[in-house]
Amino acid sequence: MIASSVTTPRTRSGLNRSARIIGFAVGAIVVYVVLLWLALQVVDGFAPERALPVAIQQTINALSIGAIYALIALGYTMVYGIIELINFAHGDVFMIGAFLAVVLTGGIFGQTGGVKDVPFLALLLLVALLFVMPLTGGLNVFIERVFYRPFRHASRLAPLITAVGVSFILQNLALLVAGSGDRAAPQIFPLDWQIPFGGAEISVLSIFIFALALVLMLLLQTFVNRTRLGRAMRATAQDQQAASLMGVDLNQTIALTFLLGGALAGAAGVVWGLRFGFVRQDLGFNAGLKAFTSAVLGGIGNISGAVLGGFIIGFIENFASSLGFSRWSEFLVFMVLTLVLIFRPTGILGQQLGDRA
Amino acid sequence: MKLTKVGAVASIAVIALGACNGGGASKTVKFAIELPLQGSELAASQPIINGIKLAVKQAGNKVASYTIEIPQSAVKDDALNGVHDPQTGANNMTQLVGDDSVIAVIGPLNSSVAKAQIPISNAAGMPQCSPANTNPDLTKGAPAAQLRTKANNYVRIVTTDDVQGPAASQYIYDKLGKHSVYIIDSTDTFGKGVADAFEADFKQRGGTVVKHDGAPKTTQDYVSILTAAKALNPEAIYFGGVTADGGARILLAAAQVGLGDVPFVGPDGINDGSAATKDSFLNLAGDKAANAYSTLAGIGDYPGKAKFDADYKAEYGIDATGYAGQGFTCAQVMLDALARAAATNPADNTALRAAILTALADVSHTYKTIQGDFTLDANGDTSQKIVSIYSFDATAKDWKFLEQVDYAAK
Repeated sequence: MIASSVTTPRTRSGLNRSARIIGFAVGAIVVYVVLLWLALQVVDGFAPERALPVAIQQTINALSIGAIYALIALGYTMVYGIIELINFAHGDVFMIGAFLAVVLTGGIFGQTGGVKDVPFLALLLLVALLFVMPLTGGLNVFIERVFYRPFRHASRLAPLITAVGVSFILQNLALLVAGSGDRAAPQIFPLDWQIPFGGAEISVLSIFIFALALVLMLLLQTFVNRTRLGRAMRATAQDQQAASLMGVDLNQTIALTFLLGGALAGAAGVVWGLRFGFVRQDLGFNAGLKAFTSAVLGGIGNISGAVLGGFIIGFIENFASSLGFSRWSEFLVFMVLTLVLIFRPTGILGQQLGDRA
Repeated sequence: MKLTKVGAVASIAVIALGACNGGGASKTVKFAIELPLQGSELAASQPIINGIKLAVKQAGNKVASYTIEIPQSAVKDDALNGVHDPQTGANNMTQLVGDDSVIAVIGPLNSSVAKAQIPISNAAGMPQCSPANTNPDLTKGAPAAQLRTKANNYVRIVTTDDVQGPAASQYIYDKLGKHSVYIIDSTDTFGKGVADAFEADFKQRGGTVVKHDGAPKTTQDYVSILTAAKALNPEAIYFGGVTADGGARILLAAAQVGLGDVPFVGPDGINDGSAATKDSFLNLAGDKAANAYSTLAGIGDYPGKAKFDADYKAEYGIDATGYAGQGFTCAQVMLDALARAAATNPADNTALRAAILTALADVSHTYKTIQGDFTLDANGDTSQKIVSIYSFDATAKDWKFLEQVDYAAK
């Protein structure tokens, strides 16, 4: 979306477009529920009325992990869109975010488990996001300034390999400070908040994670499409030189892109700890790989593509987990990626890189 | 000037003396240790190292004319980024067999690492004793034969997963009275091996396996996997693997989806110290371990235990945990074999290694260890087929020995 069109989409067509997207999303979710409902009956031999609540419960799990992948994928795709760099350190920025959230909620606030007091919980979550997001955003800006900017006019391989190096630096810093094993993350969002649903239970936390990601994505979309700085980003992605001639401050715009990407990865880090209860120094590698795959699957450089890709990967993994094929989940993810790239080399929604592609 | 000369003369004299002593003189040889020394696995490895060093120390660092050293350079780490890594283990073994002064290797911790190491140590004729490897394929049948090109060099003093898995199965089925189980393994040599052995035995007892999942250590979303398990309403969960490749992460996910009050049983891979031990299973699990059980493929209650525990505490100031006693026993086995090898007056260290292998291959020899008396069969397996069951002690926040099952009689 970054480089789709410099003119801002307006009212009527915009409304139609939103309606189409919502329609597509709801349709896709319904299709997944039905698919899983049928598969559960075939594979696990569930009765239809027993399979439905499980299918719905798993769909919400899928939306929740997909939202985490999508939040991280946005950082990959925005950076690629604007400077055509695959920022391999991005997954590790997410990992640092997850650790920072633990430092705040566990270390500073001394929480260990679920916080039942709703206003206090809301405050804690808000403080965690407001603490972690600027820090990971800032870290990403710092990385760009120190490690990538000097290579901006060098061959493309130079910043790429630097990014791999930065990834190792971040991971080893975490290794140094936190050690190599799992560290407990305080799950301050009460896990026993479940909505009973026909024999299954829907976790409120899953809904929260999905809703939070949705809000952040909508804010990003609005920012990129409706603000002056967002327009500068789109212009830079389309043609750096021309944008710069039109008075766009390139350094500032690129830094802004890294700031937004890092902040979203930080938000993903916060919810990761809530969801899984542990953080580890190599978290960024696997999550980063999945998120990067999401970005490529959706069409790298394309904001909507990253979100779509994140959810697709969340759904594939969930499908495998639901049916007892979790040992094949990575195989399935990469098989789908390969198939999509064979038939659509630029990803599902297409690469969007302006005229330099 | 004068002083220098005197010094030179003196050192020549010393060298000459050393040379004269020849065969009967004290020779320094090394025991090497090969374990993962990072992350959650360090918690399992440190007691083993302590146990080995204590055994060698109690032997006065000497066997016959040999002085035994365990220098830091001979303690190798096979972990990469916090988790045991077969390739790193293989590289370590290549280094160790190349060092002429190393006459025995104690380790590794993980079966997948042993699988990569045995071809190297076997070809080089390096005596190796594992205090913790439990995969049957390392010593038995065609898979074991494939790892070896020469006479066997590898022994172990714990029993195997084809005993450890069934012991857990028997405990869940008979003692806990749970007749349906959900199995999840970490897909590696050890994890899948022990889980398969568990599954076969549980089915044989008439139990129901609602599902057998595999989740590699790179798995992100355990919650979805356990949600699917919950839908099948298992009465117990069996995990095949170690703390570093799943362990407490799976327990946390189980608690989250409403399986927290179901017994969670795992093998020795999760019996890696108290909640106070950094990176251990209980450390991450916290209070959610309330219904957790673990097995050790070794003897938990043995004749020499009280003395060993007291000696260990006196030496290191902490309680002996996990496989500490097994580390001690492995060292005892090697010291015993070395004593018999030394009696044959081997010409050099290569001959000494060969003589130790001959000593280890004696299937009638009884090893008198803190764990009691046992023999080692032609495959290198111990005659002690005992598995110990542990449960979570909420007050001590540690594993508590419950009982042990002897499979040798069965």
